[in-house]
Amino acid sequence: MATRTLTGNSWLSILNSKKDLLWLMTWIAGLGMLWIWDALFLNAPAFARLQTAFLNSLFTGAMVVLFSLALGWFVGVSLHLLENSKSKVGFAVISFITDILRSIPQIIAVLIGYIILTVLLYQGIIRSSFVQLVWIAGTIAVAVFLEVADTIRHRIDYFRTLDFVDAMLCCGIKERRIINIEILWKNSRSHLLHKLIAIFGVSIFLQCSIDFIISVGLSTDVSLINFPTTLGNLLANVDSKQDILALSNLFTEPGYLSVIFVRHLQGLSAAFCIVFSLLCIYMIANGYVRRHKLA
Amino acid sequence: MNGLKYNIRIASEGRELVAIDEFRLAKSAINVLLGESGIGKSLISLAIAGLLDPDELNVKINGKSYTAYLRSREAIDIRRSGFFVFQEPSSHLNPLSTLRTQLREGSLTDAPDEERILRKLWQDSALSDVESILDVYPKPYRPSGGEKQRILAAMAFKKMAASAAHARESLFIFDEPTGNLDNNLRNEFLDLLIENFRNQEATIVLITHDYSIISRFVSTYSAVSKNILYRELLLEHGKLRLRDFLPGEYLSWMEKRNKAIHTVKKTETILRLYPHVKVFGRTLSISRDIEGRKHEPLVIRKGAVTYLKAPSGAGKTTIVKIMMGLIKPEKMSMELGSEVYTEETNRNVWAQNVWGKRMTMVFQHADESLNQNSKVKSVFSGLPIAGLMNEQKIVNSISELFEEEPSCGFLETKVKYLSGGQKQRLNLLRSLILHTDILILDEPLNGLDFARVAKVIAMIETKLKSGIGVLVISHNEEVFDTLVAQEDVYYLHHTGVESR
Repeated sequence: MATRTLTGNSWLSILNSKKDLLWLMTWIAGLGMLWIWDALFLNAPAFARLQTAFLNSLFTGAMVVLFSLALGWFVGVSLHLLENSKSKVGFAVISFITDILRSIPQIIAVLIGYIILTVLLYQGIIRSSFVQLVWIAGTIAVAVFLEVADTIRHRIDYFRTLDFVDAMLCCGIKERRIINIEILWKNSRSHLLHKLIAIFGVSIFLQCSIDFIISVGLSTDVSLINFPTTLGNLLANVDSKQDILALSNLFTEPGYLSVIFVRHLQGLSAAFCIVFSLLCIYMIANGYVRRHKLA
Repeated sequence: MNGLKYNIRIASEGRELVAIDEFRLAKSAINVLLGESGIGKSLISLAIAGLLDPDELNVKINGKSYTAYLRSREAIDIRRSGFFVFQEPSSHLNPLSTLRTQLREGSLTDAPDEERILRKLWQDSALSDVESILDVYPKPYRPSGGEKQRILAAMAFKKMAASAAHARESLFIFDEPTGNLDNNLRNEFLDLLIENFRNQEATIVLITHDYSIISRFVSTYSAVSKNILYRELLLEHGKLRLRDFLPGEYLSWMEKRNKAIHTVKKTETILRLYPHVKVFGRTLSISRDIEGRKHEPLVIRKGAVTYLKAPSGAGKTTIVKIMMGLIKPEKMSMELGSEVYTEETNRNVWAQNVWGKRMTMVFQHADESLNQNSKVKSVFSGLPIAGLMNEQKIVNSISELFEEEPSCGFLETKVKYLSGGQKQRLNLLRSLILHTDILILDEPLNGLDFARVAKVIAMIETKLKSGIGVLVISHNEEVFDTLVAQEDVYYLHHTGVESR
């Protein structure tokens, strides 16, 4: 039959058309299987560390997303309104600050944040793990929020060319409402959500990269062990590094494969969590773009 | 008169787009199909013409699958000897071939009468003028929408002449063929249509929102009036229905309006726009005479309608956008009450003093001027009277232009799921409920059926009684001429391009 109906589609083809959901399920299922495996074969202290590391990384990523959204929304909308205002001073100041931020590589910006955190730890100003995680999230957000601000400005500029903005202005609807509700909330949620998924992935990646850099120690008094356990932090740990190095045994002793997933679980699990999460987040973001035709 | 009857169902991904039990066409007649925009007239016509994609849509005609319908003798004849003039001319023309090539390709190669048809559609302009257009590769902006429509009409008339031997089996569908033409050009098109119909007696479907076509048909082509049938497609309680539309319904309404035609009352001037406006490197001038000999300021008065006329593309919408402070001109001067607005006036002044307070504007295309992702009830959010607009007041306002009280489901519907006519009604309502001194209407009757046209005119009259001044831009001269005193009609002209 040449015609096509919805009822003719199997659940598999529906999932195939919603690849973002498929990859989200894959991510959850993969992590669930890892959790069961580790619950069975990983020693209790290491298992507890792994769980804490994963939850801390997840929490930090979520905080980065929140901070980036708030900062990006504020800066994006402010730049637009200031650009069209009589006085250009505010626009020049915010543009200058964002341009400076843009010129600093993200990894350097985050490293600077860690250095300040080290000083605060050293001076005893910050003690709780929660505050440290929030600080880390804030630092990463400062490095990446411009992605959100740029998306917001791009969306506003696009909609400014359409008649509906002028039509609403002519009816006396305030420009702030048109931007925040009509353009960003009603017409740009998909674009922003896609950007936030990407930022979540970037935040996990940046956390791990920084953790590796600082695993050599930022000062004689403050090192990796002073920071809250995250996935990168756990992987940069000597035990985990040894677990990863154990993989090299496979070249000379292939039979070692039978024990590697039981004996070297901490490092392998941390590595798996990072790589598998980054892959899944990347695929979720791509699937989301395709499903919502954002490209 | 023989007839064709269709039971048509069109769905997409499980969602029904069109369902009509009895869609009738008279054979060897001109079937004028009226009705609100977006109700399904084009989709039904495309289905009958065999132009829908069976892989994209689930179509059933008279209980048969669309594939079976496409294989039927009837559909093959329609495709072989008929023609479909699409509503949006840009989507019909191939941008990689010149208009001349497209006018002469396929079955049109040896079709007679090309030169005569083109001359008629271009109102006997020099053939060299038309020839220069034929060498153009069509682009969205060139040639103009009106020129593209005339090229498509010429193709259809050539095809009629070429299919003379199969005229009785052929079907010619013209979907809004005069949407971009002024009244003179529209009449030239109608002359050709009638002339070809007299020669061929083919089955013709003319889809239009322009009810003034009825006046033209009745007054000019009375000899063929028994072969012209008017039908209106209506959406009643969610169901499509085709009803016979008697020309008298429109004509008697027009007659009443003409009797009550407005005379000049010297009321207070609210706005005065000085006659020369420079924008985009050209000067637009305003006059009261059609030739543009004497330039005069455009005046909007309390309780009166000012009518701004000009051919398509002359800059009418640009002028009103300048008046609303949406386009920054190089030179202009406007008095609004005691305040003066010029090219130097900051946009914020319009935002603070004018928009939604002293002036408001209904934009031409409802599709573009409403937020498609808004719910119906949210269309009224944020207006300067929003505090006064509770849900019951929204329902009352909507009821004024919708035949029945809107349900909760309707208020929660997203604008993008409404028909074009429903969108236009919302577009109008959003401005009509405001309490401004001036209301600017850019093609306010676009896409409305007759009942809604009458209601909108009645609502405008009510606003006039309350003392509001109205500025109208509309191709629908027959209707608006009954609302405007001759002294309040202005014409827009170009008076030169500035050298850079």
